[in-house]
Amino acid sequence: MRRSVLLLLCLTLITGGLMLPQVYGAPMEEIKIAGQFGLVYAPLTVAKERKIFERYGLKPVWKEYGSGGAVREALISGEVDVGFMGIPPFLIGWDKGCEWKIVCGFVIVPIGLVTNDPNIKSLKDFKPEDKIAVPSPGSIQHILLAMAAEKELGSPTALDNNIVAMPHPDGAAALISKKGIKAHFTTPPYLFEELSQPGCHLVIDDVTIFGHPFNFNVGVAPQRFYDRRPVVYSSFINAIGEAMAWINNNKEAAAKLLAPEFGLTPEKTLEYLNWEGMNYTAAPYGLMGFGEFMAKAGYIQRAPASVAEIAFDNVLAIIGSRAGSPSELERIQY
Amino acid sequence: MVKAREEKTERKKTLNQVLFIIGALLGWELMAWTGWFPPLLFPKMSQVLIHLWAGLSGGELLARVAFSLYIIGLGLSLAVVTAALVTTGAMLSPLISDWVQALMAVLHPLPGIAILPVIILWLGTGSRSIVAVIWFSSLWPLIANLHTGLRSVPTTQIEVGRNLGLKGSQLVRSILLPGAFPYILTGLRVGWARAWQASVAAEMVFGASGGEGGLGWFIYKKRFFLEIPSVFAGMILIILIGLLVERLCFEEVERRTVRRWGMTAE
Repeated sequence: MRRSVLLLLCLTLITGGLMLPQVYGAPMEEIKIAGQFGLVYAPLTVAKERKIFERYGLKPVWKEYGSGGAVREALISGEVDVGFMGIPPFLIGWDKGCEWKIVCGFVIVPIGLVTNDPNIKSLKDFKPEDKIAVPSPGSIQHILLAMAAEKELGSPTALDNNIVAMPHPDGAAALISKKGIKAHFTTPPYLFEELSQPGCHLVIDDVTIFGHPFNFNVGVAPQRFYDRRPVVYSSFINAIGEAMAWINNNKEAAAKLLAPEFGLTPEKTLEYLNWEGMNYTAAPYGLMGFGEFMAKAGYIQRAPASVAEIAFDNVLAIIGSRAGSPSELERIQY
Repeated sequence: MVKAREEKTERKKTLNQVLFIIGALLGWELMAWTGWFPPLLFPKMSQVLIHLWAGLSGGELLARVAFSLYIIGLGLSLAVVTAALVTTGAMLSPLISDWVQALMAVLHPLPGIAILPVIILWLGTGSRSIVAVIWFSSLWPLIANLHTGLRSVPTTQIEVGRNLGLKGSQLVRSILLPGAFPYILTGLRVGWARAWQASVAAEMVFGASGGEGGLGWFIYKKRFFLEIPSVFAGMILIILIGLLVERLCFEEVERRTVRRWGMTAE
């Protein structure tokens, strides 16, 4: 009698143990996400800390990379499912035959060219020996500089011999200590830190160059990920959206949560989150404008003919396609 | 007779090596043709060679090579001069010799590229910093070999020189330097290799100014534009230059000096 009770107990425990995952929701789907550090990637930090991906049944595997180039290589080699990069690096890959498209817009931030030389008022004042730091050749900062050079100096490559490649923190340190470089094309929080320094000022900003705001980064995923794992794909989009909305609706709480990650005080983080021009949004802005310029300047062979060539359906649905003249949303893609 | 046979085996060795390299390149091309790997990650060798040729005839690669060689030459020459001065000091005074050995023990294991962050803070970015890293990277193998080389000249040879009436610079020129020459040559070889590594690595870490970058900058830039065949073209060029310098400079010097003096085992 006692033995059969014990046996029954064992059996219940074992089957109960097997049943457990089913009781607590559907099995988690793994998604490998390329992360980077910084204010721009705050939605990722928020999603990680508040377990937002888990809410959508995803099990995120975070892989940290130090530069956009590394993220792109990780996507190409299949190390990650989704990553974030500027539109120019994305287009360079697209042009070279990478089968990938834009998943979502990812954040709008102010980008600017800051100099430590009071005599430099415009691009015309740069002498051949004045170095300008950008994160890497082909980065969004480099392409913006080329755009500005075309407008103000007549040639997109006019300043190519002035550029040095430096990661943002090194560039900021070099600019502030006036070691070697005269200007730094950079993004928050480095932009804010540099502009708070006495003797540093803005030469030109992104909106002046591009004409209107554009996505600093876009989410990018391979076509095969979109085709084979549509549920994971859509869960990812929703999770990113929730993280963005949470930051916008809870700036104070977000600042407190993000401060340790950035090594800043919560007050400073809040100041940065509320800086003029910061916009945590997943909407697509300016997806096409870079392509036309880059093709004309020779950075890529041809520009995408339509947004459909470079973005997945969910993005196309947001932009829409107005019969007759293009809609407001269609116009801001150029 | 012996010499002729030696030359024959030498030629056979070269032929074998050349055949092996051609075979490897053909194998590469075939692998790429199978389409097992994405062409972006594994470009065809023919594509690489086409890019290499385009880069060379377009003049960009030549300018990069010229800059690399210039900057390596500068860094290496500075290192040779420094090494000569330091070793002379060490030979003259046992105290300095102790210091040099202590410094060498501490700094030799440190890769040149590791001091780059400090160099950037002190000298800023640009060619000056790259020269400094090259200088640092090649200095320690040079000093190590020079020092060991000069110490390894047998006392008897020096005494013989003295007995023949050689003094000071004469003694150095006729006994010490030839005696230490195999070591000096090794030091130069290692220094040259280290200098290349340092220049390419330094340019890849913080890049360089677009107008005055070397091959490291070329590879770095092409990487960001995803022109992988050009990345391989840059690598092949570095290999070719290495082979050329080894064959035309070091082996030639070795043949005319060390081997003629009968100082090698061969």
